[in-house]
Amino acid sequence: MELTPHVQEKLHAGHKLTAVVEAGLVQDFIKNTRVVALIEVASTHVKQGGEQALLIFQTARVPVHSAIDLSIEQVIAVDTNLKCEIDTSSLDVDTDVLVNITSGKVRLLFEMPFSQRTNAFVSEILRAAEVVSKRRGPPPEFAWLQPYQKSSTSSQDPASPGSAPTTADTLDGLGGDAVSLGDVSVDICQNLSSTYPDPANCNTENSSVHTENERSPDLGVNRHSIATGLSPTPIAARESHIRYQMAMREDAYTDIQEFTVFVGTWNVNGRSPTVGLAEWLAVDAEPPDVYAIGFQELDLNTEAFLFNNSPKEQEWLNAVLNGIHPKTKYRKVRLVRLVGMMLIVLVQEKHLAYVRNCAIDTVGTGIMNKMGNKGAVSVRLDLHNTSICFVNAHLAAHQEELERRNEDHDCIFQRTCFHLNITSNSPPKTIKDHEHIYFLGDMNYRINPCDMNIREVASSGEFKLLLQHEQLTQQKNAKRIFHKFKEGNILFKPTFKYDVDSDEWDSSEKARQPAWCDRILWYGDSITQLEYRSHPQLQISDHKPVSAIFMAGIKVVDTRRYRRIYEEVMKKLDKLENEFLPQVTIDTTEIILEPVKFYQSQTKYLTIANTGQVPVQFEFIKKLNDVTYCKPWLSIRPYSNFITPGEKCDVSLEVLVDKQTAAQLNSGVDQLYDILVLHLEGGKDLFITITGDYERSCFGSSINALVHMNKPFRDVPVAKLIDLESKQPKELSEMPYAVPKELWYLVDHLHSHGLQVKGLFTHPGLQKEIFEIRTCLDEGVEHQVLPGSVHSVAEALLLFIEALPEPVIPYSLYQAALDATPNFSLCKEVINKLPDYHRNVFEYLMAFLKELLNHAEDNTLDANTLAHVFGSVLIRESSAVAGSSDRRNQNQAIERKKQTFVHHFLMND
Amino acid sequence: MSLTYVDRLLYFWFKMSAGPYNYSYIFKYIIIGDMGVGKSCLLHQFTEKKFMADCPHTIGVEFGTRIIEVAGQKIKLQIWDTAGQERFRAVTRSYYRGAAGALMVYDITRRSTYNHLSSWLTDARNLTNPNTVIFLIGNKADLDAQRDVTYDEAKQFAEENGLMFVEASAKTGENVEEAFLETAKKIYQNIQDGSLDLNAAESGVQHKPTQPGRTNLNNDSQTNRDNCSC
Repeated sequence: MELTPHVQEKLHAGHKLTAVVEAGLVQDFIKNTRVVALIEVASTHVKQGGEQALLIFQTARVPVHSAIDLSIEQVIAVDTNLKCEIDTSSLDVDTDVLVNITSGKVRLLFEMPFSQRTNAFVSEILRAAEVVSKRRGPPPEFAWLQPYQKSSTSSQDPASPGSAPTTADTLDGLGGDAVSLGDVSVDICQNLSSTYPDPANCNTENSSVHTENERSPDLGVNRHSIATGLSPTPIAARESHIRYQMAMREDAYTDIQEFTVFVGTWNVNGRSPTVGLAEWLAVDAEPPDVYAIGFQELDLNTEAFLFNNSPKEQEWLNAVLNGIHPKTKYRKVRLVRLVGMMLIVLVQEKHLAYVRNCAIDTVGTGIMNKMGNKGAVSVRLDLHNTSICFVNAHLAAHQEELERRNEDHDCIFQRTCFHLNITSNSPPKTIKDHEHIYFLGDMNYRINPCDMNIREVASSGEFKLLLQHEQLTQQKNAKRIFHKFKEGNILFKPTFKYDVDSDEWDSSEKARQPAWCDRILWYGDSITQLEYRSHPQLQISDHKPVSAIFMAGIKVVDTRRYRRIYEEVMKKLDKLENEFLPQVTIDTTEIILEPVKFYQSQTKYLTIANTGQVPVQFEFIKKLNDVTYCKPWLSIRPYSNFITPGEKCDVSLEVLVDKQTAAQLNSGVDQLYDILVLHLEGGKDLFITITGDYERSCFGSSINALVHMNKPFRDVPVAKLIDLESKQPKELSEMPYAVPKELWYLVDHLHSHGLQVKGLFTHPGLQKEIFEIRTCLDEGVEHQVLPGSVHSVAEALLLFIEALPEPVIPYSLYQAALDATPNFSLCKEVINKLPDYHRNVFEYLMAFLKELLNHAEDNTLDANTLAHVFGSVLIRESSAVAGSSDRRNQNQAIERKKQTFVHHFLMND
Repeated sequence: MSLTYVDRLLYFWFKMSAGPYNYSYIFKYIIIGDMGVGKSCLLHQFTEKKFMADCPHTIGVEFGTRIIEVAGQKIKLQIWDTAGQERFRAVTRSYYRGAAGALMVYDITRRSTYNHLSSWLTDARNLTNPNTVIFLIGNKADLDAQRDVTYDEAKQFAEENGLMFVEASAKTGENVEEAFLETAKKIYQNIQDGSLDLNAAESGVQHKPTQPGRTNLNNDSQTNRDNCSC
C-alpha cells in the first residue's frame, strides 16, 4: 500500500511530506485506523526553516485508495511541547509497538506495526522535535498550518477547554464526503471523552454504574464503520493499556497533599564551612518536608577541577546535616557533585519510603563542554506519585558573557539525562520529563549597565528599577531561557559581590557590580512559593546564600482507591476481552428433516450471523474419536468460512441417503441424527442437532433380507427389518422367494415392456420416475405394473443392484472374480461359491440379459455394453478398500475385468 | 505533557507494587454438571460480575476468560462452559482433555443433579489428567428454603472423592470468586511442588515466561539525544 501520493495530494503548496505511516489510534480500548503524516514547510514560507507538523487523517477506506478517502482529524505542530515516546515495555515481540504522541493536553496513543517503516517514522518525529529544541530565538508560530485548521475554534478536547495549544485543535473533516464522515467524527468525540474520564465520575463509589455509562457509546457496532470495513479492532498490548488507563484515571486515586520544599543555593567561593548553616537552612518555624541544597565553587582547587576529588564535599555535607532544621529527622536521598557544584537532597525520614527512582546526572559546560567548573548537577526522584527534578547550575560568569550563559542553560536542558536502572526498558528522562522542576544555582546573570548607580540603588532597596535591567529577567521575558518557568518576586538585595566576611560591596580592584547571581526558579502546576530570600548573615563567601520555601502539591496514592480502580480497569479489560471474543447467532440449533427417502436429497439452511465485534472464522469440527465432522449422509457447504461483523453466512446442509449410506440406516447401525460442532476460531463452540426419520426402502436392503419378506417392504415392521439385516436373523420366512420380489418386478416389467425398446440400459431414466418406482416397490406393486418409462425402470434396476449392501458377487469373492476373468470355467466356479440367493439373483439376471440380447435387432444392445453396465454393479469393491489408495490408474483394467466376467456368461452357456 | 511522565511514573510504581502484570500462565478450566444447575451463570458472574437472570440453555460450549492473580503471578483463566444436556454428553466429552481445573456443579435445590455427580466425576477422572483439580460447587445457595441436598452430605461426598467444595450462588456472587480462585491456587501449588508437569501436553497449563523487551526502537531515540552538540 503506498500512502505517499494520496497524502501528498492533501498538502498545500510549499509543504513537503517527510514521512507517513498507517497506525491504529487507540481510543479507550479500541483502535481505529489513522494515517499519520509528518510534513514540513519550505523555508521560503517562514522566517526560519525547519517548521514541521503532524497531520492525523481519518480514512474512509482501508487501504487508502485515493486522497478523497483522507480527511484531517488533527493537526499537531512539532514544537517543544511535542513528545513522541515508544512504549518499550510491551514484552511480546509479536505485538505492535505503542507510540505515544503528546502535545500539551492532547495525547494520542498509536499502535504501529513493529517494522522498519515505523522505526523510520518515529525517528523522523524525534529528529523534527530535536530541530525544534535546538532552535534559537522566538518559538515558531506555525501560521502555515492555518489552511489545515479549517475552523480554529476552541479545542474539542473536553479535558482542557481552552488550555490546549492552539496548534493542537481537533478539526472537522476537510473536504471529502462530509456526510458519511459525520458518523465517524461523532464516534471519535465519544471515544475521546471516555478516554479522558471525568474525575468526578471516577470518585463515585458506585463503580459499576460508571463503567456502564462509559462503555455504552463505543461498544455499539457502528454501521458506517462496518460498511467501510473500518470496524474497530481490539487492542493488542494489554499491559500497556492497563498502564495507559491507570494514568488516565490518576486523579481518581491520588490525593494532592501539600509538602514544603526548601530549596537553597550558595556560591561558597571555595571556603570551608567555618560557620553554622542554621541561619540559612533552619530559619523557619516548621521543618520542611524536602531539602534541596545546592553549592557552587565548593572547591576551587586544581585537584578538584581535574580529578573531581574534594575533601570539601564531606565538610559541607556535615555542615548541612548540622544546619538543617532540628525539629525532625532527615535522610539523605542523593548527593551529587561535579567539581565545585554540589547538590544535596534530603527528605524527612517518614517520607523516605515514598521516594523512588532516584537518579542523578551531571553536565559540564566548561572548556570543551566537558570541564565541570561550569554546568549543572541534578537529582530526580519520584515522591509518592509526583516526579521531581532539582537542577543546581553554575553558568558562565562575567558581565559580557550573557550568550554563553544562555548556551549553558540550553546545554543543561539538552544534555541532562537520567537513566533509571529500575528497568532497562525505560527510556531515559530529561529535565523536562518531570512534573515539578526546581532550577537553582549561581546563574551569573548580571545587571546591564544603565544610568543608575547600581550599587546605590541595590543598597537602597529599589529593586524593581534594577530588575528592569537584570539579564535573567530580560532573557526570560524574551522567552530565550527558562520558558514556562516561574520565579518569585525578588525582594532581597543582590547576593553578589561582597567582600568576604562582610556586607560590603566588592572593594577589590575589579569592583564588580552587584548582581542577583543566585536564583531559584521552578516549573510545575501545583507549586506555590512561600518565601524567596537571601541570608546576608552568612558572610564567609563573596555570595550570599539564597533560599526559597515552596508549597508543592504532591500526588499521593490512596491505596484503597488505587486498588479499586485498578481492579476496575482489569475488569473492564477482561470484559472487553470477552466481548471481543467471536460471537455469532444461528437461526436454529435444531434442524429437523422432513422424512428422508432413499436417493432423494433434502437441503436445509442454517444462517450464521456475526453479531460480535470481530471477524469470525467458523468451522465445523470433528468430535472426539470421529473421523469426519459430520455423518456420511450429510454434506455441509461451506463447512468453513469467514464472516465480518454484521454479516451473515448461509450454510447448506444437504442430506442424501445413497447406496453407500442406506444399508447402515436400514440395518439400524446408523440413524438420521447428528450433533454438529460449529467452532468459532478463538471462541466458543455451538452445537447443532440434526434429526430426521429415514423411510427405509428395499433399495439398500440386502438380498438375504428381501427374499424373506413376503409382504410389501413398507408393511414389514422396523424391528423385523433390523432383525433380517442382522447377521443371524431370528425369524426367517418359511417360504422365502428365490430372488427378491422387487427384483422380479423390475425385471418382469422390463421383460414385458422393454425387450424391444431401443437404448434400454443406455438411455437414462427420469429421477422423478425412479422415485415413484422406488415408492411403488416399497409399498407393494399393484397389478404388476410399475410407473414410469422402461428407461426409468431399467435405471431403477441398476440402482437396486448397486444399492445392495452386499453385492451380488460378495466382497469376499471380489478378488476371486477378477482373477477368474481369463477363463469362463473359473468364473463359473466363483458363481458356484456364491450364497444361494446371490447365485439365484446372478443367474436370473444373466438369463434376462441373454433374453435381451435375443432382441438385439430391436433394442440395439450388444453383449459388451450389457456386460460393462452390469459388471460394474454386480461386482463391487468394498468402499473400505476402494478408498484406501488411489486406484485411478488401475480402474480401467478392473472395469474391463468386470465386463469380461459378465461377458462370459452372456456369450457362453 | 504531564501525562507522559505520569504514565511512566505509574508504570514504575506499578512494577514495585504489583509486580509484572504480564500474565505468566494460562490455565484451562471446564465447567461440567447437569442441565440448569447454573454453569453459565457461574461463568458470567465470574467474568462479568453480573447475574444473568434468564440465561438460555447452553447449546454448545461457551468460552470466557479472566486474568487473576495467585501468589503475585498473573494467571489467565480460559474457561470452557459446557452444555449440560444429556444428549450433548458425548460431544462435551471432547472438551475435558487438557483441562487443568474442572468445576463440577450441582443444584442444591434439585437432588437429581447431585445424584448424577458420580457419573460426571467418572467422566472428569477418565478424560482429564490425574492432576486436574476438581472443584465441587453446590450452586443456588441463595435458595436455602428450597434446599434438597444438605451441606454435610455434599461435603462428605467431596471428602470421599478428594474434591474441593463450596456452596455458592451465581445470583448473589457468594463464593463464586473463591471457587475459581481456590482452584487456581491449587493448580499453582501443584506447579510449585512439581506434581504438575507443565511439559505434559495435557497439563492444561501454559507457561508464558517473560521475555526481554525490545529496545532497538528505543535506542534510536537515545542516540538522537546523545548527539546533541552545544
